[in-house]
Amino acid sequence: MRKPVILHLTDDTTPGGVMRVTEFFTRSAALSDIATHKVVRLNRRRWDVDARGADLLVSHMTMNWRNFPSRTRLRAQYPDLPMIHAEHSYTQGFVAQRVFNRNRFFAMLRSGYSLFDHVVAVSRTQRDWMKARNLVSGARLSAIQSAVDLSAFAALPRPQGATRTFGLIGRLESQKGFDIAIRAFRATPGNELKLQVWGEGPQRARLEALAAHDPRISFHGHSDTPARLMSGLDAVLMPSRWEAFGLVACEALAARRKVLVARVDGLNDQVENGATPVRDHSVSAWSNAITRAAQNLDGAPGSGQQNESALKVGSRFEQGWSRLLRRQLAAEASVS
Amino acid sequence: MTKASVIVPAFNSARTVADTLRSLQVQSFRDFEVVVVNDGSTDGTAAAVAPFLTDPRIRMVEQPNRGLAGARNTGILHSAGDYVGFCDADDQWKPGKLDAHVRHLDARPGVGASYSGSVFMDDAGQPMRLKQSPRLRDVDAAHILTRNPVGNGSSVMLRREAIGALSYAPRDKPGRPWVFDETFRQSEDIECWLRLALTTDWSFEGVPGHLTLYRVAGDGLSANVWRQLKSWERMIDKLRPLNPEFFARHEAAARAYQYRYLARRAVSAGDGVTASELMGMALTTSRRPMRHEPLRTLTTYAAAKLLEHTGIKPMGLISGLRLKTRPGNTGT
Repeated sequence: MRKPVILHLTDDTTPGGVMRVTEFFTRSAALSDIATHKVVRLNRRRWDVDARGADLLVSHMTMNWRNFPSRTRLRAQYPDLPMIHAEHSYTQGFVAQRVFNRNRFFAMLRSGYSLFDHVVAVSRTQRDWMKARNLVSGARLSAIQSAVDLSAFAALPRPQGATRTFGLIGRLESQKGFDIAIRAFRATPGNELKLQVWGEGPQRARLEALAAHDPRISFHGHSDTPARLMSGLDAVLMPSRWEAFGLVACEALAARRKVLVARVDGLNDQVENGATPVRDHSVSAWSNAITRAAQNLDGAPGSGQQNESALKVGSRFEQGWSRLLRRQLAAEASVS
Repeated sequence: MTKASVIVPAFNSARTVADTLRSLQVQSFRDFEVVVVNDGSTDGTAAAVAPFLTDPRIRMVEQPNRGLAGARNTGILHSAGDYVGFCDADDQWKPGKLDAHVRHLDARPGVGASYSGSVFMDDAGQPMRLKQSPRLRDVDAAHILTRNPVGNGSSVMLRREAIGALSYAPRDKPGRPWVFDETFRQSEDIECWLRLALTTDWSFEGVPGHLTLYRVAGDGLSANVWRQLKSWERMIDKLRPLNPEFFARHEAAARAYQYRYLARRAVSAGDGVTASELMGMALTTSRRPMRHEPLRTLTTYAAAKLLEHTGIKPMGLISGLRLKTRPGNTGT
């Protein structure tokens, strides 16, 4: 029997999470058993793809009103092709901070999701939000936490000694809340403490200005070797204003680093994986949290079982997607 | 399951809590529970509540004094309703209030916080001519920050899911989640509403009518005004990092409205010097109060100046004028 072909549509051109998640489909042995995975990169405005010969389509795209016509046309072109949408972009926190007309926005999401046979939330918190907002019916919705290959992180030696070097990893944009962490770090005494900022983005100049004159803070740009940069850190700070899942937390937890997260969206899932929640986005709360981590008042680094759950995110991802892909492929087979 | 819960935080409210509970007992909507939280009262509040406990819908929880935020959090923890309302033990609800909020929240699934206007009553419980007539629709975070349409802590009913989105367990007190921030002894209301608006997508809407009877405190000491300003500043400092762009746009206007509000408090307390100083601060901070609410801004300014220079308390003048101003005004 011919091996089914699954097309993964992505519009993400930054070296961020979504691209690495789609890579994980092609690399995972378990998922490659089910089908051949092909990643297709598209323009966000035009969901034009030749899906002839494909057995299933998985969208990792970002929906908006502008691409409403092209995604509707895609569905019309392939009425019988099973389609799944993985929602990497939108969360409650995003809507709270960025959406002015919420009814209009929810209408956009509902109309978008209605084109798909199934919708995947990338965190349980995101799924609960979609359910509470009635964006898609419960039967067509499931939560599968995103994953990347964590083996390089799990292989790192655990940090030795006290927690000294903190890291910020990700795009330098306001979503990530790095400005909060830099302010908080500046307000935290301790000459032995360091803060490394890894990533590029539009906020770089602003963040550098915020960090000015504090020699403990350094900027390193983007790294293509995330495991290596992790090896130089004792703890990772994630004060995001919104975050669909926050893969960096999984990587850091797999490497048995401390992870401090804001209590938003998918980062709530990371608390279950072993991250420490920080009560709010105030500078004082983050400064206190950094101090507590540095003084080990929050428990010894990487101790206990806390990283088991983060390490299992890969196998949970494979199981969740295998089940879903098999079910959708079987449904298609029974129709045709 | 109970449809609605009403939390009644009570601290030294022996004199007023019976009226509060009677106003809840006669609500036209019947499927609800009342959780009275006796917040370490020392004045016989428990004895005043005791006769009401024969009503199967009314319960009392005792705790050492934690303040208003702590009492509300305890009440939330002990409540089961889909919708949770609050009525301080010196305020009252009009008979149709619960029904109005339940129907509103049923009909509008995107609304997380449903509030109403209020009638003020004096220390003896007599309704005054003063009313709070907030804007009911098109309420965004900016409007909450600058004009606080919710108005007071006895006017709002929250959806359980919205409470869930706000609640968190402080590290040192697991098992007792906070919805209101207990480190605040003032400004705990507005902090909570603004946090709800800035961190979740639940919206705020009001129902028509002045359905809350809100007691104006008699202890108008102007020292409280500066203390209140301090806690308001702390609230802003806490939330600003969450969305700096938002605060950059609206903080100055919010600050001016806050100064004006405190100036009115100072006028009521008979402190013309403080009132005048605050009005000066308001006018130099932002033009928005003057542009959007010129009448109210000018009368407050005039009242402050009059009091400062002549010692005449012009509250009658203000209350006469404010009744004629358009809806959308809040504060006292």
